[in-house]
Amino acid sequence: MIPDLTHKLDRVFNPKVIAVIGDKKANGYSWLKSLAHFTGKLYSVQIDENEMPGIVEMGVTNVKSLMDIPEPVDFVVCAVPRKVLPRVLEDCIRKEVGGVTAFTSGFAETDEEGKRMQQQIAERANAAGLPLIDPNCMGIFRPKLGIRHGVDQYYGETGPVGVIAQSGGQATFITTGARANGLRTSKSVSFGNAAVLEAADFLEYLGQDEETRAIAMYIEGVRDGRRFFRTLRQVAPRKPVIIWRGGQTEDGARAARSHTGSLASSMAIWDAVARQCGAIRADTLDDVLDYLKAMVFIKPSTGDRVGLISMSGGQAVVTADAFARVGLRVPALTERSYAELASFFNVIGGSYRNPLDVSWNFNSTDLAQRLLGILQADENIDAVSMEFGVGAMQRRWRRDPAFAEGLLNYLVRYKEESPKPFFITLFPGKWEAEALEIREKLQERGIATYPSFQRSANAYRRLVDYYRAHAREA
Amino acid sequence: MSQASVLAAARSEKRTLLTEVESKALLKEAGVPVVDTRLARTREEAAAIAKEIGYPVALKVVSPDIAHKSDIGGVKLGLRTEKQTAKAFDDIMKAVQARQPNARVHGVAVQKMARPGVEVIVGLSKDAQFGPVVMFGLGGIFVEVLKDVSFRIVPLLRRDAREMIREIKGFPVLQGIRGQEAVDIAALEDILLKVSELAERHPEIKELDLNPILAYKDGAVAVDARVVLEGETPS
Repeated sequence: MIPDLTHKLDRVFNPKVIAVIGDKKANGYSWLKSLAHFTGKLYSVQIDENEMPGIVEMGVTNVKSLMDIPEPVDFVVCAVPRKVLPRVLEDCIRKEVGGVTAFTSGFAETDEEGKRMQQQIAERANAAGLPLIDPNCMGIFRPKLGIRHGVDQYYGETGPVGVIAQSGGQATFITTGARANGLRTSKSVSFGNAAVLEAADFLEYLGQDEETRAIAMYIEGVRDGRRFFRTLRQVAPRKPVIIWRGGQTEDGARAARSHTGSLASSMAIWDAVARQCGAIRADTLDDVLDYLKAMVFIKPSTGDRVGLISMSGGQAVVTADAFARVGLRVPALTERSYAELASFFNVIGGSYRNPLDVSWNFNSTDLAQRLLGILQADENIDAVSMEFGVGAMQRRWRRDPAFAEGLLNYLVRYKEESPKPFFITLFPGKWEAEALEIREKLQERGIATYPSFQRSANAYRRLVDYYRAHAREA
Repeated sequence: MSQASVLAAARSEKRTLLTEVESKALLKEAGVPVVDTRLARTREEAAAIAKEIGYPVALKVVSPDIAHKSDIGGVKLGLRTEKQTAKAFDDIMKAVQARQPNARVHGVAVQKMARPGVEVIVGLSKDAQFGPVVMFGLGGIFVEVLKDVSFRIVPLLRRDAREMIREIKGFPVLQGIRGQEAVDIAALEDILLKVSELAERHPEIKELDLNPILAYKDGAVAVDARVVLEGETPS
């Protein structure tokens, strides 16, 4: 364990000065480019004369050694070959930098020599108390400060999502995917082979990080499972932790060994860990994003009785199936609700038991308000799920933007004011682009939307399971 | 035979497999109910013990070198008289002599035949990353064919024990089906918690099997027990 780690990681995630060692033209200067919007001071360390002009052209100050930087360095990105890395780390230790990330691969994931070298590097970093986000990884993403590990990532914004991923690719997919769903990232880290810092270190850190309200993890293996278990048991009750484990099958586990050199425990054991700690298990990237949206956007609840609004009779049937299939209930409403519905609800081909089938009659904000109001007041209902017909709604949106804006404003207000969880299914059908447009409008304002009833139902099921797990007695 | 003396004896003999008698002594001290099982070194001792604990009894060979006792004819069940018991002792010794002549034989375990109940199993194994893991399942085909088992990482909380029992698909069997009474689920929870405590207190335990445990409407008891220790004492 690195002493005083929280303090050191604070420095790494909030740096004033960053140095990139060994970025070069052949790599498209991708590290320096990714850091082009960094709010602090950026240095390049490069001794190759041929590489320097390109760096200077980008307006980055280049020095020949880390020791030549005239101020303290908080965070170092190493893109040097494996044989050079030990020497560079010595400089980092002497310079007393806050932390280091090493993109360099060719360690425990490749061969015995790599394993030995990784061991040496880890021993040295541990002895010196240097937080090394270790070989074969992409390091950190802190959009608020313009710290990125890829140019596809955004900058200048922040949000509630913390990401801990053993893979740089998955860190990028989760953070950019979340952004496309209206969720910004507070802090993200990709930590590769985990030679020094591992998942539990970052989990502990993000667990106490006030900016981070939900954590998504992509893990291939943990070194100290006992510590991971203890940490997860502490963090999960405080904020939702979603765990996506790579290497669930034998073939996947073999791929994980050559990716991050990770040992695999059986999926049954990981399931036990998630259940025991009250963490949320995910199996795909879609799961991760769906559950993140649920945990951030939808109000907490332990109630499994869902009131459904659907756009047609067939949809009413399959949406009820989807929710019932994951063990949620679709109960009858109270007699008072039915009496109120009977006073205004048009029942052409529609039924108004539950789901409430609106049969494409969803053409006034007033109707939406009355229906949603009834479900909000109904004592038999814990949560409200609404289908949004993309085609008709999009046409309406074009023809009558004022209606659309009015409806959107109402839905946002309803979501915020109703004590009951509320979310929307936006089945795209042939209108993919249109669905995306509406989805963005809803999610930018904090309403979770899902492209199918199954995914709506699944996400809400996880939410209920999470809050039930943490409401249970010891 | 205390936990300390059982473990010390095994260590001094450089054994990793505890005998059934030793395993049960260890578990009994840990608070896990086990069927009263005593070691007999001679046919006369076997008959005397049987008389004391009451018929019917079962006899099983006790040897640190024999893992699967029934496969070699080392187990005799349902013995009802002194004569049957003495003969069973001789038969077991002959069978072992014929099938595994080099095995170290401590003697024969005499135990009371447990009354019928619902068979469940509890196991403990070590995961490379997460350490000791407790397993629960229903005995027989539920485990062997359907793999209907649940796991929890040590240390277990009461709610973990409660949930892992309810998690298996066969749980309705424990609640009582076809007119049978429900079994004492709290007693099973207690066993899971005791096994978890034992694993925490003794990291040198590598594997543990209670197979079967018989669950009744009042209580549960481990009929057979098998404990394997680590080759080297882990730090």
